[in-house]
Amino acid sequence: MADAGHEGFLRHRGFRWLKLALAASFIALLGYIFADVGPHPNGGTWYGYTLGTIGALLIVWLALLGIRKRAMTRGKWSLKAWTSAHVYLGLALIVIATLHTGFQFGWNVHTLAYALMVLVIASGIFGIVAYATLPATLSNNREQMTQTQMVEALRATDRQLLDAAQPLPQHAADRVRIALAQDAFGGSLLRRLSGNYPACATQRAIEQFNTEDPAVAADPAVIRVEALLNRRKALLERMRRHLRLKGLLEVWLFVHVPATFALLAALTAHVVSVFYYW
Amino acid sequence: MTFRLRTIDQTADGREIVREKDLGQPALTVGRAAENDVHLPDLAVEAQHARIADSGDGRVRVEAVGTLGFTLDGRATTSALIDSRSGAELRFGSYRISVARAEDGAVLLTIQPAGAAAEPLDEKRAFSLARSLPGKRAMAWLLGLAILGLFLAWPIASNLTRAPKQSVRGDASWNPGPLSLAHHALTDNCESCHVRAFEAVRSETCQTCHKDVHDHAQPSRMAGAREVPGLGGRFLESVAHSFGKPGPGACVDCHTEHEGAGPMQPTREKFCADCHGTLDQRLRDTRLGNAADFGKVHPQFRPLVATIPGAKPDARVSLGGDAREASGLTFPHRKHLDALGGATRMAMSLGRYGKALGCSDCHHPTEDGVRFKPVEMIRDCESCHSLDYDMVGPTSRTLRHGDIAQMTADLSAADRHVEPIVIGRRRPGEFAAGGRYFSRFSPPVSGAARIGQALSRDGVCGECHTPVFRGGQWTVVPVGQPARYMQHGWFSHRPLRHREGRGPLGRDCAGCHAATTSTTSADLLLPDLKQCRTCHLGESTTLANKTPSGCAMCHGYHPTVAAPRSPWPNAKRAATLRQGGT
Repeated sequence: MADAGHEGFLRHRGFRWLKLALAASFIALLGYIFADVGPHPNGGTWYGYTLGTIGALLIVWLALLGIRKRAMTRGKWSLKAWTSAHVYLGLALIVIATLHTGFQFGWNVHTLAYALMVLVIASGIFGIVAYATLPATLSNNREQMTQTQMVEALRATDRQLLDAAQPLPQHAADRVRIALAQDAFGGSLLRRLSGNYPACATQRAIEQFNTEDPAVAADPAVIRVEALLNRRKALLERMRRHLRLKGLLEVWLFVHVPATFALLAALTAHVVSVFYYW
Repeated sequence: MTFRLRTIDQTADGREIVREKDLGQPALTVGRAAENDVHLPDLAVEAQHARIADSGDGRVRVEAVGTLGFTLDGRATTSALIDSRSGAELRFGSYRISVARAEDGAVLLTIQPAGAAAEPLDEKRAFSLARSLPGKRAMAWLLGLAILGLFLAWPIASNLTRAPKQSVRGDASWNPGPLSLAHHALTDNCESCHVRAFEAVRSETCQTCHKDVHDHAQPSRMAGAREVPGLGGRFLESVAHSFGKPGPGACVDCHTEHEGAGPMQPTREKFCADCHGTLDQRLRDTRLGNAADFGKVHPQFRPLVATIPGAKPDARVSLGGDAREASGLTFPHRKHLDALGGATRMAMSLGRYGKALGCSDCHHPTEDGVRFKPVEMIRDCESCHSLDYDMVGPTSRTLRHGDIAQMTADLSAADRHVEPIVIGRRRPGEFAAGGRYFSRFSPPVSGAARIGQALSRDGVCGECHTPVFRGGQWTVVPVGQPARYMQHGWFSHRPLRHREGRGPLGRDCAGCHAATTSTTSADLLLPDLKQCRTCHLGESTTLANKTPSGCAMCHGYHPTVAAPRSPWPNAKRAATLRQGGT
């Protein structure tokens, strides 16, 4: 019963906003089927204008979460209730906006607005899924280490490596130098999200020491450096998993937020252009 | 075993002071109190904090003795076993102690204040994606402004600042869908229809090109005929009006655009039915029957026919009963089409037909295939109904059809001794001397008598025509062959199904035209409403083998003699356009 006291924004008040969103979608669909519009259902019929107005207001309201979230409150109009509504009404928007289009698409600013809306919603869905599944994995991976401790551990190992590598011959010292010089937080977006770093200098140094001449490999200094490199690699792997999970938790916002602003711009262009050339 | 303590301190000016001290004891104490072997003057370190003991084989055990632990390689713990060969780093408060093995086998403990060498790290940023991606805010502004500039500011600026007759640039992105075939050329000239900003397309704009489009009916009649909308309809109308939408009755009410390339879509049945479905309730004096759905509510066809032979068509007669017209011609279809009759026998004996007569032997379609050309006597009848009246050697002399004065002259001047001449037409297979089927108009008598005979009811003219004495001389009643019976409805013989005539009466022409049973040319052989409904029902029909037929299939809204706007005649061109042609 540990989480009995906690009710996340998804199941807020027994899925109140999910039910409301489903009802809204259903009503919109019924209207689409039975509304007497002609000659074709599209955004320019009275029903199309109605759905369009609702959809545009909804988009603006959904975007306002960006402002609302900066003020956490409790109670009836709590931020949690607002977030719950944001999620479910955002999903209902797919139905409302699609019916608004009357399934007429083309290479124009109107479909651009629709596509951006779909992108925003899709990234939002990704975010919901990420928030629902990743934190447990993230927590398991950390093993109660904080981010600061991860960095500290890496630094401690690096300092020891630097010390331990002092007696090494130049070619071996170079391997350590290159491994230490590589930024643990470097790497492209793709590296971060995949957790796959084929150009890892620490890994390469380990491989090079593995194929080292036996006479050199028996040197206690080399053995120590190898042990430290392996420890460094283990630390790096944990940190990279951490970075990957954090990245996945974060990356949707890098789509969601800019695409929202692009959507607001495209929506403005859509509405103004439709009435400019009425 | 020996512990070697190497203490690194920094002077105020940043210089490092390194001191070394060897301690040959099995364990060391660590703490803030001065009596400790490793003295760490930091308030975060307990007075007796930890113990570092030799554990044999170069290994040392570190144990916290107080309540606070220490950090081993960045990780908090209270106890650790360290191999000095691989080394480790301990941290107590703000001090760092690195464990290593000296070359002589001593355990080397290097003690120095932490933080001195640590470069600052913006941890929040380092762990965030912000390091690998452009900022959210920057992307948001950039994308938003780009879209606003490209898709809003540019077209509007171009619209406001353009020179007269110059087209607006950048507004292609505003086009919600392809224009219809008819307006295809206007695709890049939005402003030709959307003349003023924020003003709906007005009928006057349409009429700058469509100058001679006639109104459907008098405006007062139309206003009276229009159905009064319900509460919802009135609300929608008031909203539309408050936003400046024109109508009802504006061009754009029916002619919606941007609905896709191809022909402009035919107007839906409902638009007509709004008024015509219950027209008699509002226009009580109307002579038009109610029409809402071709399969259910549609008046009987009333073609325009002549009631006086040869006169202009002057009366509407209702089909479906015994509809008649005065064509001025005597022509029993049945006699000609009867497979066992004389006409068939005669046709079979002539090389030209070779078989029983069919409709197409006499009726020829117009070039467009919509209608039929008038029957011409010389082309279509004369091979049987010969106009020969004399033979000179092997050459026959023929009366000129359609010219009574010429006929009179010819017969008057004919050789009085005409021999041999067959009287009347003989049975098929019999021949007059020297040729087939020519008539003896009279025994060799005077010209005037011959003329009289020719124009008599049994004479060569009277056989098909109605002779009359008019203006002091004999003549015949003119023949009327209307090209079009339905003045306000369109019918084309061209569609394959119409040509094949899978009508209620059978196949081909006879499927719709009851010619084989018609004994008089007064019969109006047009299919009635019921016959058309064999295939055509209203727009909403879903029955198999029925063609959904909206009003626009046969009727145009704007009075015209041409076909109504419909998707069919232009289907081929539409296909070309879709394939990227011009």
